Amino acid sequence: MRRVALGFILVMLAAACGGGGGGGNGGGGTPKNGGTATIALESELHTLDPMDSSLLVEREVFYNMYDSLFTIDSSLAIKPGLVKTWDTSDPLNYKFTLQSGVKYHDGTPFNGASVKANIERYKTGATSRRKSDLSSVKSVEVTDDTHVIFHLGKPDSTLLATLVDRAGMMLSLDAVSKGGQNFSLAPAGAGSGPFEFVEWKRNDHLTLKKNPSYWRSGLPYLDGVTYRAIPDVNAILAALKTGDIDIARVIASKDVASLKTDSNFIYKDVPAIGFNGFELNAGTSPFNDPAKRQAVALAIDRYAILKDIQFNIGVVAYGPIPPSSWAFDSSEKIYDHADASKAKSTATGFTFTYKTTSDPVNQQLAQLMQSELSAAGITMQIQTEEFATYQQECANHQFQACGVSWSGRIDPDGNIYAWWHTGGSFNDSLYSNPQVDQWLEDARTTADQAKRKQDYDNAQKQIVQDAPYVFTTFGVSAQISDTKIHGFTLYPDLMIRMAEVWKS
Amino acid sequence: MSYILRRLVLMLPVAFLVTVGVFMLIHLSPGDPALIILGEDRNPEAIAQVHQELGLDKPLYAQYLIWVGHIIHGDWGRSITTHEPVWNAITDRLPATLELGIAALLWSLVVAIPLGTIAAVRRGSAADRIATGVSVAGVSVPNFFIGIVLIYVLSVSARIFPFGGYVPITQDPWESLRHVILPAIALGTAGTAINMRFTRSSMIEVLNHDYIRTARAKGASWRRVVFVHALKNALIPVVTIVGLQIGGIIEGAVVTETVFTWPGVGRLAVESIFNRDYTVVQGVVLLAAFSYMLANLAVDLVYGWLDPRISYA
Repeated sequence: MRRVALGFILVMLAAACGGGGGGGNGGGGTPKNGGTATIALESELHTLDPMDSSLLVEREVFYNMYDSLFTIDSSLAIKPGLVKTWDTSDPLNYKFTLQSGVKYHDGTPFNGASVKANIERYKTGATSRRKSDLSSVKSVEVTDDTHVIFHLGKPDSTLLATLVDRAGMMLSLDAVSKGGQNFSLAPAGAGSGPFEFVEWKRNDHLTLKKNPSYWRSGLPYLDGVTYRAIPDVNAILAALKTGDIDIARVIASKDVASLKTDSNFIYKDVPAIGFNGFELNAGTSPFNDPAKRQAVALAIDRYAILKDIQFNIGVVAYGPIPPSSWAFDSSEKIYDHADASKAKSTATGFTFTYKTTSDPVNQQLAQLMQSELSAAGITMQIQTEEFATYQQECANHQFQACGVSWSGRIDPDGNIYAWWHTGGSFNDSLYSNPQVDQWLEDARTTADQAKRKQDYDNAQKQIVQDAPYVFTTFGVSAQISDTKIHGFTLYPDLMIRMAEVWKS
Repeated sequence: MSYILRRLVLMLPVAFLVTVGVFMLIHLSPGDPALIILGEDRNPEAIAQVHQELGLDKPLYAQYLIWVGHIIHGDWGRSITTHEPVWNAITDRLPATLELGIAALLWSLVVAIPLGTIAAVRRGSAADRIATGVSVAGVSVPNFFIGIVLIYVLSVSARIFPFGGYVPITQDPWESLRHVILPAIALGTAGTAINMRFTRSSMIEVLNHDYIRTARAKGASWRRVVFVHALKNALIPVVTIVGLQIGGIIEGAVVTETVFTWPGVGRLAVESIFNRDYTVVQGVVLLAAFSYMLANLAVDLVYGWLDPRISYA
C-alpha cells in the first residue's frame, strides 16, 4: 500500500512515446565503456537483503546487484537468468540447468548447492518476507553443480515469475554470514550481478561499481552507478535539470509535457503492470449492497481522471489485468464511460466516506470523483489521513471506500489472487465469491496458458461486475533521463536494469 | 562547579518525563509499523511474525521498560525498519546536521548583529525601516519557500550552486561550502530576522542607560561606545535566543533538510515518524531533549561572562 502515492505518481507520467527531440537513445551508436550514472530513488531503502525487502525502490537496486534464477524481456516473457534451461513438464518437479562458471562478487562459486541454500534461507529465515512467495516449494534437490530440481507441494504456475523477483535472487552465503547483523546495510560481495556494492550512506547515496568479471561477457558498460534518495517529485526534476542525476523513474505528471519538449532530456514510456483505483468495503454498509458498489462504478468518469488528474499518462483501466500482460482481456469493458443516469437507476441517494492521503494529487482526484458522484445523486465525503493511519485502517477493513493502487506483478496471479480471493492478504474489501475463488485456484495450478487466460477472463469479468474495487487507470513505466544515457530498455515491471546502459 | 552539577542532576527527572512522553506519543499514534515494513508483501502470518520480532506483541509498559533498560545501559536499540543501530543512525547524520546548523547560525548572526545595531543607532531612519522590513519578511516567509526559490534561481536556472546533497567538510572543504550555502541561507533567514529584532530592541534599551551617557561624557568615541560599551550588554537577550537556536540544531532542520535532500537528523526524524520507526524516533527526541537542556545550561553560564553582575554561587 506504500505504493498508493507512488503508483499514482507513476500513472501521472506522460503517455505518448518519444523523447522530445532528445535523440541519441536506445540502441543508437556503438556502446561505449566507462562513466557513471546517477539515478534518483523516490524513497530511501530499508534493506539491501532481498530476504527482508518489501519496497519497490529496493528491487530496483537489487536487479543491478544480484542475479535472479530467471529474467524477463520487455514483453514480460520469462527468459534465462542464472537458470540456463528448464523443464517444467512435471508440475511437481521443476528441473533447472544452471549457468556454469558464474562467481559471486566475493569470488565464491554459484552452483546447485548455493541455489538450495538460498531457497532454504528464504523459506526459513527469521526475518524472511519471502516465505509466502515460496510456499509451494517443498524442497530443492541438488543433482550436481549445474542441475537442481525444485520439488513442489502443489502445482504452481506462477513460480517461474516469482523466481524473477527477490525470491529468485541468489546471494553468496559466505558474504551473508560475514556481514552478520549488518549484512542488510552493507552486503559486500554478496551478488553476482553487473554491479558490486561499494557503500550506502543512508539518506544520501548508495554506490555500486562495475563487476569486472560479470558472467554476461562485455557487460556492464558503466564503471558504476550511484543512487540518490530524493523523496519529492519536484526535487527529482530539479536534480535532473541541474545534472545532479542522470536518470529518474518518476516525476510529477504536470512536468512531463515540458520535459518532452526539452531537447536536453529523454522521456519514453510503456504500459506498466500495476493498476489504480479504489476499494469499496463489501463487508459493511453501504457497500454490502452490490447495487451501490455498481452505481459508484458506473458514475465514475475514468476518462476525466486520466485527462485531468493524470495528464493523459497511461490508459483507462477496465480490470486488474493490464494491457502489458498476456492475460489482458481487451473485450472486457463492463464499466467504460461514466453513465450518471444508469448509476441513478441502479442505486442513488446514499452517502459514503472515501479515505485518502494528503498528497495533492490524491486530493484533486478525490474532489473530481466527489463531483462526478454527486451527478448521480451519491454523496462522497472525503476523509484525509496521515499515511500510516490510513494504511492501517484500510488494511483492517475500517473503511467504506479507500484509494489504494497496486504496483503490479509479472504473473497475472499477482494482480488478482491476493486481492479478491476469499481471505486474500490484500482483500481489504472482504469480497468473497466461491466461483471466483475456484477460477483463481484453477489458474494457479494449471500449466496451460490458454486455460489460465480463460480462468482469468472469467474471474476478472465477475470481479469487475461485482465492483469490490473500482478500476480507474493503468500506469506506465518510463525512461526519464538526460540525452547522454543510451541502451535503455523499458520494462513494464518499473525496474531500471543498468547492465546494458551506456553513457556518451 | 557545584552549580553545574546541581543543574545536571536536575536534568534526570526531566529526562525521565521525556522518555515517558516520547514513548507514549509515538506508540499511541495510529499506524502499524508491521504494515509499513511489509508494504506490498503483507499477509497475516508475516504481520504476526514482525510483531513478534519487534516485541510489539508485549504489553506497552513492558516495551517501555525494555527500551529504558537498554538506554540506561547505553544501548539505543536498532531501527525497526533498517535494523541499523539507532546510535549509529543518529551519529552518522549528526555531522551533516551540525554543519548545516552552524552555517545557518553564522549566516543569521553575521547579518543580524550589524543590521540590528545599525537599526538601533539610526532609529527611525530609512536604514532602520529597510532592516525592519527585511526582518518582518524573513520571519514571515517559510523556509521551504525560500529554499525552493533559491534552488530555482541559483541552482536550476543560474547553475551557480549544486542542487541538494551533502559533501562532508573533511572530504572536500570547497565542495562542502558550495553545497551548504543555499540550505544555510534558507534555514538561517528566519533566525536572522529574529536575532536582528532582538539586537535592535535590546540595543535601543541599552543606549538609554546612564553609563552610556557617562561614557560619551568622558569623551569615548560614538563607535567605541556602541561597539564596546553597549553591544556586549545588548547581546544578553540575543544569547538566550541563540542558545535555544543551538539546542534546536541537533534535532535538525526538518523541512530544509527535506527540500535540499540533506542527509541530516531532521530528515531521519521525519522519515522515522512516517515509518513508525519507534526506536529511531525515541532516540532522536531523547537526544534533542538533552541538547536543549545542555544548551540552556550553557546559556546561563555565558550570561555570567557577558554581565559580571550575574553570578551563580
